[in-house]
Amino acid sequence: MFRIWLLFDPRRVLVALSIFLFVLALLIHFILLSTDRFNWLEGPHHGMVAQQLAPLPSAAK
Amino acid sequence: MSDVTRRPISASGLTESEAKEFHSIFLTSFIAFTVIAIIAHFLVWTWRPWLPGPNGYTTSMLDGIALAKSMFG
Repeated sequence: MFRIWLLFDPRRVLVALSIFLFVLALLIHFILLSTDRFNWLEGPHHGMVAQQLAPLPSAAK
Repeated sequence: MSDVTRRPISASGLTESEAKEFHSIFLTSFIAFTVIAIIAHFLVWTWRPWLPGPNGYTTSMLDGIALAKSMFG
């Protein structure tokens, strides 16, 4: 199995692997943040549109 | 004229012992990375499993609602 490094340059493999894994991790994290269920920062957004479309409560009363 | 004593160079330029040495480091790092990833996946699965059953995600999404109901009556 170690003979793979006789064929592929370890430096290039390490650079390619790190870039690939970093981009993949970034992509998966952003996909998860865009979902309701797996957004760990803000939680689900049920009724968020309705809240945003609702008129502001009048301050002067 | 030609250097007959020189051993044939590999495609990557590494000798066999260098390849063995790098392989041991690579294997150790790979296993460590995989173990950390498995731990992270286990923790996320306990937080919220990502495979819904035939009825979809059932109860675990209601924990926030249950908490809100307990707080606001």
